[in-house]
Amino acid sequence: MKKFQTIGLWYDAWRRLKNDKVAMISLFIVIVFTLLAIYGELVYQYHNALDLTPNYQKTNLEIAYTSPSMDHLMGTDGLGRDVMGRLVQGVRIAYKVGIITSLIAIPIGVFLGCLAGYYGGKIDDFIVWFYSTVASMPGLLFILAIAMIFKGQGLLGIYLGIGLTTWVGLCRLIRGEVLKHKELTYVQSAKVLGISSSKIMFKHILPNIFHIIIVTFTLRFPAAVGTEVIMSYLGIGVQNQPSWGLMIESARMRLWQGMWWEMTFVTIALFLLVLSFNLLGDSLRDALDPKLND
Amino acid sequence: MLKYILRRIFQMVPTVLGVIFLTFILFNIVPNDLAAISLGKNVTPEMLERFDEIRGLNLPLFFGKKASTRAMNDQNFSKEIYDWRGDDITYNFDERFISVNFKNNFNPLLFKLNESYKYEWTGIARGNGVIAGNEFNSKNWINFKIISNSNDSEVFFGNIDFKKIKIRKIINNPFNSQLFFYFKQLSNADFGYSESFKQPVTKLLSDGIWPSLSLTIPIFFIGLFVSIFLSLVCALFRNKFIDRFFVILSVALMSINYVVYIVAGQYLLGFKMNIFPVWGYESLSYLFLPVLIGVISGLGSNIRFYRTIMLDEMYKDYVRTAYSKGASKFRVLFKHILKNASIPIITNVVIAIPFLYTGSLLLENFFGIPGLGYLGINAILSADIDVVRALVLIGSLLFVLSNLLTDICYALVDPRVKLR
Repeated sequence: MKKFQTIGLWYDAWRRLKNDKVAMISLFIVIVFTLLAIYGELVYQYHNALDLTPNYQKTNLEIAYTSPSMDHLMGTDGLGRDVMGRLVQGVRIAYKVGIITSLIAIPIGVFLGCLAGYYGGKIDDFIVWFYSTVASMPGLLFILAIAMIFKGQGLLGIYLGIGLTTWVGLCRLIRGEVLKHKELTYVQSAKVLGISSSKIMFKHILPNIFHIIIVTFTLRFPAAVGTEVIMSYLGIGVQNQPSWGLMIESARMRLWQGMWWEMTFVTIALFLLVLSFNLLGDSLRDALDPKLND
Repeated sequence: MLKYILRRIFQMVPTVLGVIFLTFILFNIVPNDLAAISLGKNVTPEMLERFDEIRGLNLPLFFGKKASTRAMNDQNFSKEIYDWRGDDITYNFDERFISVNFKNNFNPLLFKLNESYKYEWTGIARGNGVIAGNEFNSKNWINFKIISNSNDSEVFFGNIDFKKIKIRKIINNPFNSQLFFYFKQLSNADFGYSESFKQPVTKLLSDGIWPSLSLTIPIFFIGLFVSIFLSLVCALFRNKFIDRFFVILSVALMSINYVVYIVAGQYLLGFKMNIFPVWGYESLSYLFLPVLIGVISGLGSNIRFYRTIMLDEMYKDYVRTAYSKGASKFRVLFKHILKNASIPIITNVVIAIPFLYTGSLLLENFFGIPGLGYLGINAILSADIDVVRALVLIGSLLFVLSNLLTDICYALVDPRVKLR
């Protein structure tokens, strides 16, 4: 019986999603980007393992700033590097940032949210105090400050900066949902059966509110990517790898001299990625839980 | 009402303390060497020590009687970690200790110690001579502990073997910690001294606030006006073409990166069409382009937000009553709905106050507007800890304060709130 119900929720959501044209197109674009990211990672790992210079890092000043052609479909940049190859590597970095910051932020939010909602009382007071304190910190400046402290350690500063500051919204949502579920009969009966609190929280309640995590992930992913682009653009973050932020920064200078291709393709890729994740997230939210729509 | 406000102020205290404590953790505890991050590579230990001294970083974190000094690193010769070198010094590899045979006075310190403190030398040694100005005489290895003043600490003499030696500054008042120093600084409204601008942070902040406000206030009010108007249009034509168009447009606007807005705006409007100046802060015309970009970039999320509010109100009973009384659609929208929607709008407005203050980091930076956002980015790029800490702290304190204001506005508009 239980199994039937779990399938039911996801099946129902999928059925609703399937009829949503915008969602399906977004899903398709997301899949394409994901494949590109995996491909980029493979290329990166391959060259890293064999200690080769990959194509996207090879400089050749003779072909600097060539416009798109059959050899270089998206042209070359100021050092003669292939823009398309670098763009794909940019997808890889964007995904890395999106996924790793989620792996930091989501567990914190879920764990604290569950504890606060389930136990209430002093623990709840403490966690609410903690997240309202973190929420008071001024967004981007706080992220940049964290990144500054971990300066010179590559992407770590970006991961920690974004990851440690963006769990508050999820924590609030989870806390509210756990508060509601705590009163429901299935939790009450689990309590009567003497099942331990941690088991009730993470094995019984969590699967029932798991869709919140999925929706949050889909919506925070593009936000993290956007923040990473801003940070790299400002010169705080990735330095020697082709991040989109760095590409925009270097292309900005040349745009005024008519070298439009690097800027155009990077911004289109960035826009498509963020837009499709945003649209997919909205549709997922509608499909999984219409009440969540704020 | 007064009782409610007092209660809310009282509830604010833990959050304010939390904010202060969090900035303390971020800037004093997490980085193992703030001075090294801030001053960069080519520095002497003496400069680092002075940096610490000014900011109270050479004190214990919370509580304690001893603090380290950069004049000498802890020496543990048994682990081969040592930086005592010289003709008079030999290292015994079998038993792992260092033998010193000082004919002349030896000074292990990198710079002159602060005279207002006493110092404690501890370690394991044997031999015959003078350690930090005190006679030492022992045939076997013993732990020694010597208290000396700053001048005596420079005096080493005789034949002595060392296994370990370290120096600690003695703090007379154990509560005189970094945390205490921080609170003392804040209670004097002193935000420290900027290392990269060579100015007190307070002055930098007061200089930067007006350019910031001249940018953020127009962005905020124009953005508010335009998005409320467009959201009312959406509500008026719900599910018609115009509504759908704005919904899609707002998602698209939200998906464009801020950086792209700036680059595209500067390129298209500033360079190609040459309508606006691109960089600088000289006259009013320099503000047009950044304000325009600021308004457009915020439009997406604002339309979405206000549209939801308007639609929430549209299905309430009073709206139906107004319609059945025969009020026109226009009148219902602008008189009834807008009035009732003003509560969430006020919340949104008041909550934005701290962001007006911190300015727009990116806009100011890429249009050369010398405000707080410009200051913030430059401080972060040059690792100017004091400026960054002050901006983060003030931003968050203003956020807490504007939360309070929001609640008071709520209570003024809707008296039921007070009972909760």
